[in-house]
Amino acid sequence: MEILDKLKEKFEILQSQEKREDLALVGTTEKDLIPLLVYLKEYEGYKTLVMISCVDWIEEGKFELVYNLWNPSKKHNILVKTKIPREAPKFQTIYKIWPQAEAYEREIHEMFGVDFEGNPTQHEELILEDWDDIPPMRRDFDTLKYSMEKFGEREPKSGIIIRKQISEQYDEWRRK
Amino acid sequence: MSKEEVRLFIGPQHPGVTGNMSVEVLLKGDTITWAKTHIGYLHRGFEKLMERRIYIKSFPLVCRICVPEPDTNEENFARGLEELAGIEIPERAKWIRTLVLELSRLQMFIMWYGGIAGSMGLSTPVQWGIGDRDYILDLFEELTGGRIYHIYIMPGGVRKDLPEGFEERVLKLMDIIEQRLPEYDEIIMENAVVQKRLKGLAKIPRDWVDEMGITGPVARACGFPYDVRKDHPYEAYPYLDFDVITEDGCDAWAMLLVRRREIDLSINLIRQIIEKMPKGEFLARLPNVLYWKIPPGETYVKSEATRGEFGYYMVSDGSDKPRRVHVNGPSFVHGITLLERLLVGQNIADVAPIMVSLQTCPPEMER
Amino acid sequence: MGKDKNYFLNEKPEKMTYGGVFRKINDWARARSLWVVAYGTGCGSIELRPTFTSRFDAERLGMRMVGTPRQADVLIISGYLTVKTLKRVIRVYEQMQSPKYVVALGACPINGGMYYDSYNAINRLDLYLPVDVWITGCMPRPEAILAGFKRLQELIDSGKADGWKKYIENLDWYRENQRKIIKNWRMPNYNW
Repeated sequence: MEILDKLKEKFEILQSQEKREDLALVGTTEKDLIPLLVYLKEYEGYKTLVMISCVDWIEEGKFELVYNLWNPSKKHNILVKTKIPREAPKFQTIYKIWPQAEAYEREIHEMFGVDFEGNPTQHEELILEDWDDIPPMRRDFDTLKYSMEKFGEREPKSGIIIRKQISEQYDEWRRK
Repeated sequence: MSKEEVRLFIGPQHPGVTGNMSVEVLLKGDTITWAKTHIGYLHRGFEKLMERRIYIKSFPLVCRICVPEPDTNEENFARGLEELAGIEIPERAKWIRTLVLELSRLQMFIMWYGGIAGSMGLSTPVQWGIGDRDYILDLFEELTGGRIYHIYIMPGGVRKDLPEGFEERVLKLMDIIEQRLPEYDEIIMENAVVQKRLKGLAKIPRDWVDEMGITGPVARACGFPYDVRKDHPYEAYPYLDFDVITEDGCDAWAMLLVRRREIDLSINLIRQIIEKMPKGEFLARLPNVLYWKIPPGETYVKSEATRGEFGYYMVSDGSDKPRRVHVNGPSFVHGITLLERLLVGQNIADVAPIMVSLQTCPPEMER
Repeated sequence: MGKDKNYFLNEKPEKMTYGGVFRKINDWARARSLWVVAYGTGCGSIELRPTFTSRFDAERLGMRMVGTPRQADVLIISGYLTVKTLKRVIRVYEQMQSPKYVVALGACPINGGMYYDSYNAINRLDLYLPVDVWITGCMPRPEAILAGFKRLQELIDSGKADGWKKYIENLDWYRENQRKIIKNWRMPNYNW
């Protein structure tokens, strides 16, 4: 694939793969990522940012940021990836290059706790409200435990649903 | 916020917004000077829940990501899984999947066609649209057992073959719908209120399309022939004969025209599919899905939903559960980035038609 | 609006009392004109559209959608509730005029359904709001919704649909449960 060869000449490429005819995958360093995105946008016609995603590789202690670009004339997708440390994760914003990146970064900030320096709205709540725990999409967040603690058990342990009548519960509560 | 401005929340409990979401606007008189989308009212954490479930158990989850059109999600997830696991699916399964996708697209568009009139206060097309859509839901019920959620497409093909005589019933229904459509056109397209209000409404500058990642009927209404069915053909679409529909208006009226022509295209495609559908197997042999380990890898699959490009980014780490599934719906861009910019300068009464024109679907924004 | 004191009542409202033949006439009339708040809180709201339009036509039973909670009698909780929506639902419920009824659709409000382990969806609705009729299924078909409303009409006719009275009597219990999951309580207390 010629685009991958071109990128290899210009940037430090850690990993590259041609997945399908219309999908390629490039891994690069933290430092080279934004120059690479700008290069793809300005010179190679990858004009559209489809999405930004984040993967938690907790065993390595890394977050992986994935930028998905699309070339409207060649009908080709490219996934550009980089790994950032999991402790105090931070990266630079790209919302000045693509306006929709602002909302995607806001979501990643909320769900993974990655700090995008320069993003004006990332500290505003997008999806969650009054969240009181670690960011929920991290691998070490146990959603079942959180749900049981906050919303109560799903059903009694015996396996048969014998729910106390609500009126009994009122009385119990009054006696307390 | 100056003293002359009023802050107003439209939604979440508001009949005009598309689902459970809200838009916060600042008003100066009747004109919106600033807008902000609030989402998260339907967030169930699907991506987190999928990381806790084995692959086959995720199928009941993914179809709930977009309620009116669940099959796109199932198909995307199944196709991504097949790509990661290296499964080839039988030819007939591809055609049945395409038929289901087109039927679901058709029912969504018919409901939308009534809905755009409803957003301007015309209540007859709403009744018609939802009533006619129910005939398609009856077909779905016969095919899959469920009216809304089908869980019919599964990795390796589809769950069951078509029932006997199903093709004839589909063709008959297509004739009925085709006869009904001129009546819709008469009360929607030729209605002076609709024309006055939609022409010139929500004018999108052309350079926003590539820059913001606008897809689907909204991009096609701006003259960009972006259609995943044509650009990145999947399932049986490479064998079908069709053209991408484009309009040049860039406004809500052009979006209406694109979607109206999409209904005709869907009917045409369904007839083609039934004509060309091959015989044979409908499900590939799978390993035991309860102990199914997917080799490590990652992929991005996408398809054309009624609202635009729907994509799944899937990462497997070699275990029986996904490492990460990122669902990217078109409404994320349309509903947040585009809507916030489009509403500025519009009237308060036009918020509902703009939202329906962009077809923002909150569950796919927040998953 | 008048004085703030009249609008935001901090004390518990008085229980509405009426009886005898007036109760019967009132209940008879109420059961036959149930107006539903147009608030699609979850995915079940997609089946409300066929229910209330031409095919299943719930309007022949005196049911219709209204835009404002102040004119409505029934609040439909259509499926799962997230914490963010629950806050709005409580607010909508308290804005409605008594008598008011809650109908819960689907498996999710009963015990969390398939979202039992979700960090953002509640598991049991009856801890936070009094529910009069549960309709199971995911999602309930329009016929099931109509059957559920038939049951609600019977309950109202016989005077048993008294969730709103329970809510007023046990307001402190409900408030305590609600405040457990809604951390930042910034809600006005409406008078009923």
